[in-house]
Amino acid sequence: MSRKIKIVLFFILLVVPFPGMTQGLYKSTGAEIEFLSSAPIEDIHAVSRKGISVLSAVTNEISFRVSIRSFQFRKAKMQEHFNENFMESHKYPFASFKGNIEEDIDFSKNGEFPVTLTGIMEIHGIEKNREIPATVNIQNKQINLTSIFDVACEDHDIEIPKILWRNIAEVVRVEINANYTKM
Amino acid sequence: MKILLTFCLILSFSGLSGQDIDSIMQSMDSGTGNEPVFATFKSPKLVLLQTNETQKKQELIFWVGHRFGDISGGSRTLFGLDYATDIHLGFDYGISDDLSVGIGRSRFNETYNIQGKYRLIQQLEKEMLVSVTLFGQSSWITRKESFDNEFPKESDKISHFLQVILARKFSPSLSLMLNPGYLIRPSLQVEDVNDKASFFVLGMGGRFKFTKRLSLIVDYTLANGLDRPGELSPQSYNPLGIGLEIETGGHVFSLNFQNARYITENNFIPHTQSSWEDGGVRFGFSISRNFYLGPKDNQGKKGY
Repeated sequence: MSRKIKIVLFFILLVVPFPGMTQGLYKSTGAEIEFLSSAPIEDIHAVSRKGISVLSAVTNEISFRVSIRSFQFRKAKMQEHFNENFMESHKYPFASFKGNIEEDIDFSKNGEFPVTLTGIMEIHGIEKNREIPATVNIQNKQINLTSIFDVACEDHDIEIPKILWRNIAEVVRVEINANYTKM
Repeated sequence: MKILLTFCLILSFSGLSGQDIDSIMQSMDSGTGNEPVFATFKSPKLVLLQTNETQKKQELIFWVGHRFGDISGGSRTLFGLDYATDIHLGFDYGISDDLSVGIGRSRFNETYNIQGKYRLIQQLEKEMLVSVTLFGQSSWITRKESFDNEFPKESDKISHFLQVILARKFSPSLSLMLNPGYLIRPSLQVEDVNDKASFFVLGMGGRFKFTKRLSLIVDYTLANGLDRPGELSPQSYNPLGIGLEIETGGHVFSLNFQNARYITENNFIPHTQSSWEDGGVRFGFSISRNFYLGPKDNQGKKGY
C-alpha cells in the first residue's frame, strides 16, 4: 500500500462508522421504574413508564435515564413534595445509570442470565459507583432486563426532615423492568 | 504501520460506539419537553387573595384563618392580640385536579360562603406562559339584623365575587399573580350613597421563596379609586398583606400582617377601613392541612 492510501484509510476508519457498530445496539423506551419507600406510618410507591435505555451487545455498555417528573404517585400532593422538596427536579431533572454488563452474554441465544451491572448512578446530581444485580432474559432476540436494588437517600444528599422520618424511608427499593428492541 | 492502523481501527470502533450510545440517548425523548408547571403557590390563599392553586383530586384541605385587633391598641390590648376581628374556617375539596369546591364560615357578619375554583389553563414549561384560573364565591350573612328591616329579603344578605387569576411561576423561587375581579353586592349592603354596589377590583400578589420551606408572601388589592370611588364615608383603604409562609409537608402556616380586618373577599374588599399608615395593621395567621380521601394503596398491586 502506498502511503497516500494508508492515510486515506486512516481517515475513513476514523470518520465512517464501522458497519458492525450500529449492529448489536438495543434500545428501550417506556421502561418501567418503580420505587417503594416503606416506613412505619405509610408505604409510598411511585412509578414511571418513561425510562429510556440503550445497550450494546458488542461492547456490553448500558445506559439508562429517567425523568424525575415522570414518576406518578397516588397522592398528588406527595408527587409535588417529591419533586419540589426532595428530588429538586427543577435542578436535577433526571436520574441515570451508565456502565457495563460485567458478564459476556451471547445475545443471540435464548435464556435467562443473572448479570452484574457496574457503573455510575446519578440521582439528585450526586454520582455513586454502584454494582447492581440484574437479570437478562432473551427470547427470540427480544431482550428483557429486570433489576431490584436499594437507593439510600443519604448517599444522594436527599434530605428527609426529621418530622417525616416515620413517613418516608431512608432506603428506597427500586425495581426496573425494561424491554429492548434491536435498533 | 499495520499496528498503527489496527490501533486506529480499535480506537475508532470503541470510541465511536461509546459516543453512539450517548448520542442515541440524547436523541431519545424521556419526557421533559413541555411539562406542566406545578406548585406556583403552596396554599389556596396567599395572605388575603386566592392563588391559582386548586386542590388535587380527592384531596380535602382544611383552612383556618385568624385576624387580631389593630396593633395601634398597644400594650393595653397586647398589640391587638386581645381581639379577634375575624376568624374563618373553610374546607375545599378537589373534584378533579382542575376543579375545587369549598364551603366556609367567617365570624364577621356570621357569614357562610360557598366557592368554586376552576383551572382553565395550566402554565407549561415551554408553550404556555401563565396559568389561568377562575374563582367564584357567594357569601350569605346570617347574623341578626342590627335594626328592623336591615335586610328585608333573604337575597339582600347575599353577595358574589368573581375573579380571574393569572399566575406565573417565573422560577422555583419567584411566582407572581394578577387577579382582576368583580364584586356584586345587593344595594342594601352599601353604606355610603356615593358608593357603588358592584365594582371591579384588581388584585396582585407574589411569593419569594428563601429556602425550600420558607417564603415571603405579599398581596395587594386595588379596590378603591379604580371602579369604586376613592373617597367614601367611612373611608375605605386598599388591602395590603405581607407574611411569611412556612411549609412543613402536610401543613402550611402563614404568619402575616395586614390592614384588612376580614378574611373572605366579599368581606374585606368592601370593608377595609383601616390603613397601614395610622396603625390599622393587625397580626394574623393561617394554617392549612391536607387530607387525602381517595382509595388506599393496595399492597402488591402495581400501577394506579
